[in-house]
Amino acid sequence: MDIIVNDLLNRFQYALKEHAQMPSFITYNQLYNMARTSAHELKLKAVKAAVLRNITVEPLLPIIGGEMVTLGFAPEIYIADFDAIHTEVFNPQSGLYKFSPDYFLIFQWLEILSPRFSSAFVSLSANEINLEISRLVSYFDRLFFNIRVNSPSPILLNNFPIPDFTTLGILDAQSENLQTYSLLQLNRDLVKVSHKYSGVYWIDTLKLFNLIGYQNSFDEKFWHIAKAPFSKNLLLPLGREFGKFFRCLNGKVKKCLVLDCDNTLWEGIVGEDGAKGIKITSSFQAFQQEVLNFYNRGILLALCSKNNEADVLEVFRDNSDMVLKIEHFATWYINWHDKAANLKQIASQLNIGLDSLVFVDDSVFECNLVREHAPEVVVIELKKYPSFYRKQLLSLGIFDSLSFTEEDKKRNEMYFFEGHRKELLEASHSVDDYLFSLQIKAKFGVVTDFELPRVCQLIQKTNQFNLTSRRYSEGELRLFVGDHNYDVFYINISDKVSSLGIVGVGIVCYKQRVAVINSFLLSCRSLGRGAENALLCLMINEAKAHGCTEIWGEYIPSKKNSQVAEFYKNNNFWFRATEGEVEVWSLVIESDTCYKDVHPKWIQVLSANGVL
Amino acid sequence: MSNEIKLKSVLASIFQVDVNLINDETSVDSVEGWDSLTHMNLVLALEQVFNVSFTEEQTVEILNYPLIVITLAEHGVIC
Repeated sequence: MDIIVNDLLNRFQYALKEHAQMPSFITYNQLYNMARTSAHELKLKAVKAAVLRNITVEPLLPIIGGEMVTLGFAPEIYIADFDAIHTEVFNPQSGLYKFSPDYFLIFQWLEILSPRFSSAFVSLSANEINLEISRLVSYFDRLFFNIRVNSPSPILLNNFPIPDFTTLGILDAQSENLQTYSLLQLNRDLVKVSHKYSGVYWIDTLKLFNLIGYQNSFDEKFWHIAKAPFSKNLLLPLGREFGKFFRCLNGKVKKCLVLDCDNTLWEGIVGEDGAKGIKITSSFQAFQQEVLNFYNRGILLALCSKNNEADVLEVFRDNSDMVLKIEHFATWYINWHDKAANLKQIASQLNIGLDSLVFVDDSVFECNLVREHAPEVVVIELKKYPSFYRKQLLSLGIFDSLSFTEEDKKRNEMYFFEGHRKELLEASHSVDDYLFSLQIKAKFGVVTDFELPRVCQLIQKTNQFNLTSRRYSEGELRLFVGDHNYDVFYINISDKVSSLGIVGVGIVCYKQRVAVINSFLLSCRSLGRGAENALLCLMINEAKAHGCTEIWGEYIPSKKNSQVAEFYKNNNFWFRATEGEVEVWSLVIESDTCYKDVHPKWIQVLSANGVL
Repeated sequence: MSNEIKLKSVLASIFQVDVNLINDETSVDSVEGWDSLTHMNLVLALEQVFNVSFTEEQTVEILNYPLIVITLAEHGVIC
């Protein structure tokens, strides 16, 4: 039996590797089928996706399923009948809700929702166009409302592409009231109405059809045979798009882009051509501009190059055609060591996992070496000509995220400031002196709508200083925030050098005399200041105010959070019990201890509105 | 991978059967899971993997292994 399982695991690993090198219809189906038959032996986590549709989407499902398998899941798919959307969604007792899905995937084609708007546009009067848009928007509004009444799970659905031929031909684009702009108006109004609800995400079919062209995306033959609109050419890009959302919603977001230099950032080899001999052609400038865009999105940048450091730095310093400057990089490893070892160093130095890195290089040799010796790293091997480099960087959507916050915009600045803090550390005599010299202020409060996106981001992304690694969607967090039995706390840190923003989250459940800490996490870049102790003390203080006499902390060991195994122990909790995978630690809340003041002395605590 | 192996892999994948059991007898009558829906999956998969576009007539007619091989040959794919 063991030999069989071993063989199965080997075959699965091989299938994953094959898929990573060259994803295809066959590799997707292979992974999906293996997960369906052997989820338990392959140690995949179950995930449930409910598909609602008014068109045929079955060919797409192994691809969407395959994407989930690459993330470590075994998908169970519930597929509703054609045109059963109404009965499934509007009936709280339906099979849909009994299935209790983790995701709702909804596929609706405009031609079926509104035949006139789609195929007979010319027959509509101006008034009828507006009425039809309103009717459709109102339909989606009710759809979202009814799903939300019964479930907080994320909803992924398609928007509507612009057809290859519109009714009035060249006239259509001349007025905002004709077909082209009416369709765009419909898509816009749908996005707006979806903001009333949390966790509704649009699969940009409009953009995907544009990617390979409507005529390559829409299958006329299968549309007429089986109401199946997606062509063979669209299946992979469309399925992959779902993969990007699943990655984001499961905290598998990449954090750092590591770049080679020669023939990646510039044309030529600086060691041979000299700093003045390499060329930054238009293709490379465009490529560097895309890298700079990632910088501004809050992605960390690093260099990993086989060169003499001085040569590379000379290019950054002296070549005025460079779009990127050395200050844009959080770190660089320019030496003659192997790149896999360097990547591990980069991850360690930046305090992130190896699997948060994306490595870009034009050398087949280096890419294969990294694939072999650091397989957790996503490798983008630059192929063909430099003109195509920037598209290769963008096509995977590997850094796509579902939020873009102020913290993201400022993240790289903060890494720059970290250098400044290191100078302060060198100057002070002891760690305590240094910490006092930073004049750290902490703001502690209960999460409201304002903090929610950033808090959700932390819940999704934080791996190391995370006591339970429970991943909640924005919808689920909202439920906690609105529930009297729960408190969701945040801690915001700043010091005299800069502000780090919201860096910690704690979720507490009050069960009469006992407060249970269900989630407790801190962004690793804020560690070393004692912020975690401050957050814990303040949460205990709140529990005391709630009338609790005991506070319990839950710890679920994971591959990445071993550093917090002793956290509760170090804070004077005693080990209570293990319930399944959860370790429960307990602290008696002393009536004569003022927990508000027990936090580290070098942190000045302000309340949410900034007062002491 | 040869075209023959590719073809058999596609069939094995779509109908969830052992790739070694695919032969000239494989047809809509002999394979349990081969219905109108999985047939469409099959046609789409073949079009994707071999980069061909079947006509409407061919789409509904390729209901067994030999016919698939012949039809692919008409599109320049030799298995």
